[in-house]
Amino acid sequence: MKRRSFIKNIPGAAAATVIGGHSISAAPSNPMLQALYDMMYETDRVLVIVQCNGGNDGLNTIFPLDQYDNLKVVRSNMLMNASSILKLTDKTGIHPAMAALADMYKEGKMGVIQNVGYPNFSYSHFRATDIWLSASDSNEFLDSGWAGRYLNYEYANYPMGYPNSVMPDPLAIRVGEGIGLGLQMIGVNMGISINSASDPVNLTGNIFKDPAPADYLGKELSYLREVQRQADKFGDVILAAYNKSKNLSSKYPVVNGTSTANNLTNQLKIVARLIAGGLKTRIYWVSTGGFDTHSTQVDAANFTQGAHANLLKGISDNIAAFSDDVKLLGLEDRVAGFTFSEFGRRIRSNASLGTDHGSALPVIYFGKNIIPGVVGTNPIINANADFNSNLPMQYDFRSVYGSFLNQWFCVPQADVNAILFDKFQNLPILHPASCLSTATHDQNTINGIPVVKVYPNPFVTKTRIDFESFGGFVRLQVFNNQGALIKSLVNNELNKGKYTMDLDLEGQSSGTYYARWENGPLQQVKGMLKVQ
Amino acid sequence: MLNFGPLAVTPYTGNFGKSELLHLLRRTLFGVSSSDLKAFEGKTLNEVVDQLLNISSAAPMPPIRAYQGRALTNFDSGVPFGQTWINIRPNPAEQNPNGARRGSYKQWWIQLMTQQERTLREKMVLFWHNHLVTDTNDVVDLPDLAYRYNILLRASCIGNFRKLMYDITVDGAMLRYLNGEKNTSAAPDENYGRELQELFCLGKGPGSKYTEDDVKAAAKVLTGWTINYADNYQPLFRPNRHDNKDKQFSSFYANKLIKGKSTTTAGSEELNELLDMIFAQEETAKFLVRKLITFFIYYDITPETEANLVTPLAELFRSSGYEIKPVLKALFTSDWFFKSEYRGVMIKSPADFTIGMARQLEIPWPAEQNAFESRYFFASQLFNGMNSQGLELGDPPNVAGWPAYYQSPSFHELWVDTATYPARLTVIDNLVVRGISTGNGTQWVYNESKNKVFKADTVAVVKKLNSPHDPNLLIAQLVELFYGPGVSQSIKDALKTTYLLKGQSSDIYWTAAYSDYAANPATTNPDARQVPKQLQDLFVYMFSAAEFHLH
Repeated sequence: MKRRSFIKNIPGAAAATVIGGHSISAAPSNPMLQALYDMMYETDRVLVIVQCNGGNDGLNTIFPLDQYDNLKVVRSNMLMNASSILKLTDKTGIHPAMAALADMYKEGKMGVIQNVGYPNFSYSHFRATDIWLSASDSNEFLDSGWAGRYLNYEYANYPMGYPNSVMPDPLAIRVGEGIGLGLQMIGVNMGISINSASDPVNLTGNIFKDPAPADYLGKELSYLREVQRQADKFGDVILAAYNKSKNLSSKYPVVNGTSTANNLTNQLKIVARLIAGGLKTRIYWVSTGGFDTHSTQVDAANFTQGAHANLLKGISDNIAAFSDDVKLLGLEDRVAGFTFSEFGRRIRSNASLGTDHGSALPVIYFGKNIIPGVVGTNPIINANADFNSNLPMQYDFRSVYGSFLNQWFCVPQADVNAILFDKFQNLPILHPASCLSTATHDQNTINGIPVVKVYPNPFVTKTRIDFESFGGFVRLQVFNNQGALIKSLVNNELNKGKYTMDLDLEGQSSGTYYARWENGPLQQVKGMLKVQ
Repeated sequence: MLNFGPLAVTPYTGNFGKSELLHLLRRTLFGVSSSDLKAFEGKTLNEVVDQLLNISSAAPMPPIRAYQGRALTNFDSGVPFGQTWINIRPNPAEQNPNGARRGSYKQWWIQLMTQQERTLREKMVLFWHNHLVTDTNDVVDLPDLAYRYNILLRASCIGNFRKLMYDITVDGAMLRYLNGEKNTSAAPDENYGRELQELFCLGKGPGSKYTEDDVKAAAKVLTGWTINYADNYQPLFRPNRHDNKDKQFSSFYANKLIKGKSTTTAGSEELNELLDMIFAQEETAKFLVRKLITFFIYYDITPETEANLVTPLAELFRSSGYEIKPVLKALFTSDWFFKSEYRGVMIKSPADFTIGMARQLEIPWPAEQNAFESRYFFASQLFNGMNSQGLELGDPPNVAGWPAYYQSPSFHELWVDTATYPARLTVIDNLVVRGISTGNGTQWVYNESKNKVFKADTVAVVKKLNSPHDPNLLIAQLVELFYGPGVSQSIKDALKTTYLLKGQSSDIYWTAAYSDYAANPATTNPDARQVPKQLQDLFVYMFSAAEFHLH
């Protein structure tokens, strides 16, 4: 079992000097230079996450055709005719509003994972969303997101010493929303938020902005926003990347008004431009809402139409347009993504042409390098299902994350387990392709300024933590993988200098722990592994 | 063709509703909390302004010894812990305690600002500190002098400008700061004589035509004033150091001649003549009025502002014998003050931002008997927060004050740049997310000072609003309270959806979670448990937005 990031303990300041000391030309031979070369030429892979807030009705998205008759019994007031459903396979179909995704399926660029969920479903939007974002168990409360933990694994020193020449760009970008738990690492934002405005001036800084009027107020608003942009350490690179590129696809829905579909259009257009503009950002997170379809989710006169159909069309048309765009931009090999929603909906529809909060639901994944297909089997629909009946899960949602981490970001399975705090089934959803060399990961791990160093690591009961104070108030805390504070090693003002604290976890269970250092606004979180 | 306009200030006669009240309070208090708003709601404009100007003349309790990280023995041992150091001579056998005392003085001042009454006093003390500048650390150095200067500004803050100018001229801190105590007939020092005219009374505008010879003559008038260090730092006039020759002024001052005197009262008599001469100038009233407008309304003083506000306010100032209070009353009840173009357009100073945030969030100060130790510590951290944003309270950059109050064309924009904006974010983080903590170090004299935290209780803040379980009303009230300018409904909706509904479309999800939490903060409902974090994230976002930095 190799745990590179946790075992690595390379003295600081190596990264910057190595970069500065070499002039990199073509065809490097040394693995370290190969890694730098790879990064210079922007070969990194990009993951696009599409969050659908509200709880998507999976049974009105992906249809179990072999269960159609029973489904008709429990959803008589809203199920469309079988002939309207577009077939993906003989047994499984897709909503006709998602014709664009059905076409992608035929091209081998879209797949479906059936019945994704977790044991003991939460039917609360907020709680279920946090479970999905943090990749926790149903009864577990985590202070970090799964993507945040991955980025902390990859860029262990972030944000200390970032941006730098190796990683000048944000690690992750959330478009149009606050950063959210998914990209957090125990109080550290591992990504940034940007606005989804179509005017580039308002991309960075605060994400919700009225246009500045032409008076004293407008003058001062514009001034403050410009300072915010300049103060944003990524403001310039984002603007430059955006301005350097343009969208090439003509398939994006026409934006007018403020529908959720349009919201996703703006977001994905920005993502395509930022990737094309050369950002080395790993993860883009976009979102849309409105899936909480308790009533009138279908048009009473035509079950293929209605609010849910419009939402699905928005997802489908936008993902298809975005995929077309990245293809035309020559980025297709580097981009993959998936959709998720916090839960599916009940098997039986309700009397108001809607569906209530449910459990398992399909996940749609996309990209040129995915293995297309329908993973898993159709859910079994019982014609006697009552209003409380729910679909059982077939795949744990963390399998989706783990499979992308392992097969797309090439994280060794043991490290995936450490990031997800458990072992989950690895689903074959992406073509095995040459992963980035180990040296790239190693380089990322030491990049930035290592303030916190844990040694030995892994350890059995005792280890030491080196850290620094830049003057002022310092906290050094140890958290377990549930986000619970286990030890507060330092909690006071410390003069500038280097310090060492002993950590004794005698009596604590083995597993992943985190040393979290805070000095004024500065923070760093380092993973460590207690073994038996 | 200058239009001098009407002689009286046009009073505001429009509706005095919540948004007018908010505008008035934002400019006159440090931050507006929902409690501030409640205290004034329902009152008329005149009643509110009268209350703001009803300033008690009583001096506050003096600063005390609460030095952090100093041993109690062998350091300033003449001052018991928790007792004031004012008027207590340091023990010369010990390390000089003045650095610690100056810190105590500034922390005392920060506490007065943050725990201010609902009057204009604290804003006016800062106004005068910026206008009649002295420092604390570099030149004045002696903490007793800094304290006395502060007490003078406090006591005179809405009193008589002419009297204040007399008092400040012979104030110990000012006599040190602008070299007055070194100004003698043998070696005249023009520093104060110049600033008295250039910065304090007349300015350099087109209406100010004093000459270099006037500076020299004023300096001679002021020779001989010193500080009686042995007697409570009282001003001491020494006739033998005074230039007893006649002082001739220019035609700008109608060729005024101040007869040279040699008596023990020569200093005050000649100073009075000098001030009478300066205060006879129309420009003196206009100059201070313009400074007040820049401080309280907006920096852009157009010809219309001159005609409609500066001229009539200056007339009022002169006719009242330079009483400040009637001018402020007229200013805050004027039509001009309430013009929509001036609302929510002023960039908050670091004091407005930092002290204002602590007040808006009504962060409680430790109240126990021995809690002065943590109170002074928290004040030191607020001081540091303001300092990192470019306002070092007690130590302006130079005698002209902070450039944000005078530097054309940027003025208040100078408060925010790529260094100070991140410093503002740090303050938000400290007050809303992290909390300022005393920690568990060994430096605390009292055990109960350990692990005290100065941090916003975001749930308590929204509990004071109307129907906080309704996400639309909640956002509307927070926008009203926190943002100087308004925002569109679509921004309010975005804030609601992102932070209160966490991406959901139905308001019921916030209502249910908040109601559960409000009824029982120990609730096990996982949604309700997220409520404090949701509000924290919302506040952090709102405070970082440009609209929060305007008032």
